[in-house]
Amino acid sequence: MQQEPNYRQSSAPIESEPAVEADKVPGDNSAQGQNLISAAGKQLLTFAIVAVVGLLVTMFLLDALAGLTSSQSTVSSSAIDYENNEITSHLRDEPPQMNSMRSTDSISGQVLNHVMEGLLRYDEHGDLVGGVAEQWALNGNVMTFHLRENARWSNGEAVTAHDFEFAWKNVLAPSTGSQYAFILYPILNAEAANNGEVPLDDVGVQAVDDFTLEVTLETPIAYFDRMVAFVTYMPANEAFYEQTNGRYGADADELLYNGPFMIESWVHGASMRLVKNPYYWDKERIRLDAINFAHMTSDPNTLLNLFKDEQIVMTNLGSQMLEEAMFQGWQIDRFMEGTVWYIEFNHRDGRLTTNKNLRMALTLAQDPGELVNRVIKLPGYLPGESLFPVWLQGKERPFRQEHPAPVYERNIELAREYLQKALDEMELEELPPLALLTGDSPNARMQAEYYQEVFQRNLGIDVVIDAQIFRQRLDKMTSGEFDLVMAGWGPDYNDPLTFADLFASWNLNNRGRYSNPELDAQIRIAQSSLDTGERMQAFAEIQRIIHEDVVIMPNYERGYVYVTHPELKGMLRRVIGAETDFTYAWIDGARDDRSGGDNDNQQGGE
Amino acid sequence: MSQYNDGVHRTLRDSDFEPLGEQSTTPLLVRPSRSYWQDAWIRLKANRRALVSLYLVIGLLLFTFIGPMIWRVDPALQDVDQISIAPGADRSALVAEAYEPWVNGQVEPDFAGGSGLRLAAEPTTLRVRLLWDPMPGADNYRVYRNNYPIEDPQALGIPLADITRDNVYWYEDRLDLRARDYYYAVVVLDELGQPTDQFETVEVNVGRVITAVEARNRGLVGAGESLAVGDEVMMPWHPLGTDYLGRDMLARLMAGARVSLFIGLLAPLLYVVIGVVYGASAGFLGGKADQVMMRFADFVVALPFLLFMILFQVVFGIGPGESGIVPMLIALVVLLWPATARLVRGQILQIREEAYVSAAKLLGASHHYLILRHMIPNTLGVILVTLTFAVPSAIFTEAFLSFIGMGVAPPTASWGSMCNEGLKNMLTHPHELVFPAAMISITVLAFNLLGDGLRDALDAKMRSAE
Repeated sequence: MQQEPNYRQSSAPIESEPAVEADKVPGDNSAQGQNLISAAGKQLLTFAIVAVVGLLVTMFLLDALAGLTSSQSTVSSSAIDYENNEITSHLRDEPPQMNSMRSTDSISGQVLNHVMEGLLRYDEHGDLVGGVAEQWALNGNVMTFHLRENARWSNGEAVTAHDFEFAWKNVLAPSTGSQYAFILYPILNAEAANNGEVPLDDVGVQAVDDFTLEVTLETPIAYFDRMVAFVTYMPANEAFYEQTNGRYGADADELLYNGPFMIESWVHGASMRLVKNPYYWDKERIRLDAINFAHMTSDPNTLLNLFKDEQIVMTNLGSQMLEEAMFQGWQIDRFMEGTVWYIEFNHRDGRLTTNKNLRMALTLAQDPGELVNRVIKLPGYLPGESLFPVWLQGKERPFRQEHPAPVYERNIELAREYLQKALDEMELEELPPLALLTGDSPNARMQAEYYQEVFQRNLGIDVVIDAQIFRQRLDKMTSGEFDLVMAGWGPDYNDPLTFADLFASWNLNNRGRYSNPELDAQIRIAQSSLDTGERMQAFAEIQRIIHEDVVIMPNYERGYVYVTHPELKGMLRRVIGAETDFTYAWIDGARDDRSGGDNDNQQGGE
Repeated sequence: MSQYNDGVHRTLRDSDFEPLGEQSTTPLLVRPSRSYWQDAWIRLKANRRALVSLYLVIGLLLFTFIGPMIWRVDPALQDVDQISIAPGADRSALVAEAYEPWVNGQVEPDFAGGSGLRLAAEPTTLRVRLLWDPMPGADNYRVYRNNYPIEDPQALGIPLADITRDNVYWYEDRLDLRARDYYYAVVVLDELGQPTDQFETVEVNVGRVITAVEARNRGLVGAGESLAVGDEVMMPWHPLGTDYLGRDMLARLMAGARVSLFIGLLAPLLYVVIGVVYGASAGFLGGKADQVMMRFADFVVALPFLLFMILFQVVFGIGPGESGIVPMLIALVVLLWPATARLVRGQILQIREEAYVSAAKLLGASHHYLILRHMIPNTLGVILVTLTFAVPSAIFTEAFLSFIGMGVAPPTASWGSMCNEGLKNMLTHPHELVFPAAMISITVLAFNLLGDGLRDALDAKMRSAE
């Protein structure tokens, strides 16, 4: 009882405030409730303000901190640095190493083509021109290269014929274990030496003097000059190589450069910086002072955002990004990568796919045009028709124009007839599921799912998808654990033979183990003949046999759609060599000390 | 001296031993007797949030099990004419002739004449045929297509193709054509293959068409009906749109729900049963056995779930095209039972010391009777609540694992894998991500709220607090 007055007293001050409010709103009996609401609202408002202010402060602090750290670690933060005549770009991944003699991947190939130079190289028109070699001539079996005397290593020493002899013999040495040694096999005794059957001294490469290199070939081949532009044919300085103790090419200072650029710093897994090589013999040609590969990622969304923020000079676009690119009004370019993609059948004994009628049925049930136009939806892609891509040069005109590829039009009724024939031949009631081996990228999965449904709907064939990472897929392809595999092939040198010998019975890259003496005979002709007409005829025959025997099911020729910074000019996308080549690039509007600079700037500005 | 001895004397009369009359005025103060479950149900009904969740869960069950009987569309069927279409998109199409490749650039009679960049045939979603006059001093051309009107000569849109063959001044576009306006441009290329500023443009309004063969194959017209070129037909209806391969989203959501509920209901049921048996045994036995059993449970808790999940996939030898659902189920059951076991053990330890258990023991009740009559019914509320909370977490785990590609194998759909696929097209076709994501969120939320309501309804301690 005593507590009650106390209680009332304490509640009085609270009621005094609504009394004021109640005066304003006469006759309102919910004054107390309003008071509570306004009190709660005030409290909420205070909380909200504190939260927002706190967040803002944290953001600014973090931003400042990030600015502090990033200015120390990364080299440059903008796509184009006009002041220092530098650009920033990205690499798709960390290059495994920079040893040209052991390099197998396109990422190290991309960097090596900027920092090293072989005997020959491709210019801005895609023509073969002299690199370290000034002149070259094929005389019977012997090809002689005359090296220029002003080519220098980045330590000032001259690049000599001995450097090439050393590098090539090192590639072929069985102890090196180079996976690309086979590309040197046209050289006399190269294959035998690589297999350890003859000593390396018997290999047909010899430095006659410091600036003359004589290469003896197994048989005279017409395309050898195109092969020496490949990464594996690049030189190496023997004295420097010995001094690195097996770490050659593992780090920026474990490599000697003779190309237009040199690696100044290489933060493994994060960034790489190339600067102009002052010793390069043709340094007048190089107009960029430095290239920063500041990002090592292949995630398309990350790259798109970096490009949007002007952090990198170029990026490829996925089909879902085209709308955004058009909306932003970017200048979009396309580029045919030069690779051919196809579904390869397993021709090993005991596999269902050895049955030609089954292969025919599967091929007739699908349409590469639908895959490219409706599913992939990228303008860079071409529906696949042949093993030979469209860009290959024939005798006078492009090969595919001289010898149009025969194609199978989609015909589901016919496909079902072939399937029935195949089932009768194999004495099966129903076809067991086929295993489709594919990569684990989203695009590879999407295509596999597309084919899975196409074969199920049109032929009633069950397909199980075996999505594997690249290395695992390669292992399974080599051991033949597949019925169908989605595979691709890129050119190593600019001659149709780089595709034509793929299904030779002796080629280890013939993962389906297809073997046909008729095809082998044509490949032999293409390899050994010196007459372009005869070779092209052989390629046409190879194209016909592969089509008629349904060795593969062509899917598409891959291309890219990409955007570049509008101020960067002269960037090249290559089929052979560096995929993205900055050696001819320049910045529009940047300070350029060369005499022709103003002229070029005007051209670019038009 | 006792107070009874010298108290007041009272004489008992006969009337004192007569029964009292009927006393109708006495109020009856007894509540109607209700069982534990009736009581819980009334409480649950009073909780509106829980009730709505319950309806949602029932709706989900109907969606999963009755839905596919009503919406009989194959979730794996690809409708390549309607890839990535949004819900409610226009689906009327005209019947067109079968597609024939365009070989030598001939012009349809209706489109003869004109100059500059122009159409050579009626533009349809099958193909757009463009034609232009040779431009002075030009050998090579590049054809562009834009979704927006062309204003800036630097931004012509997406480059479709380079025309480098002699005497070819035409191009056929078949790339992902939608029924909408396109702005085409053809640019002259210089010797280096770089575009110059010499270009022509044309605006094209593409109409949606379907070939008669396709229309018949898809069953868009009755068997007896005739189809002529120019007839209007309706394309297959996709109420929630289609995904990146033209598969029906509604059918895929239903198929995905089956996977999610399979994992979401079966896994918790199994591991809660295991947990109850294990925890009850440990709690009832007590002493050393309890110690050993609970330390083993602690050991299992310490195992990292994701790592184990990957190991399971390897050990089970999940081959090509095989679903990872069974290893996922086993991994969930093997790794998640200790939580329930701990909870039940705690309850049992508490109940074991209750007076009514001692009383039952004194009266000679067997262990069997004690467990069945006293222990389990008294922990049932806790177990049920655990179960309802375990369901959403299992559904979420399944979605997460499918999202990172460790769940179902294609073409089977699951909400998680659908989210993963939809993520790629999030900016252009948001419905591919929004629907599966919404299904996961709603399901998880409904089960959680239902679990909340059940806990309030079943928990005996909450009852006394009311």
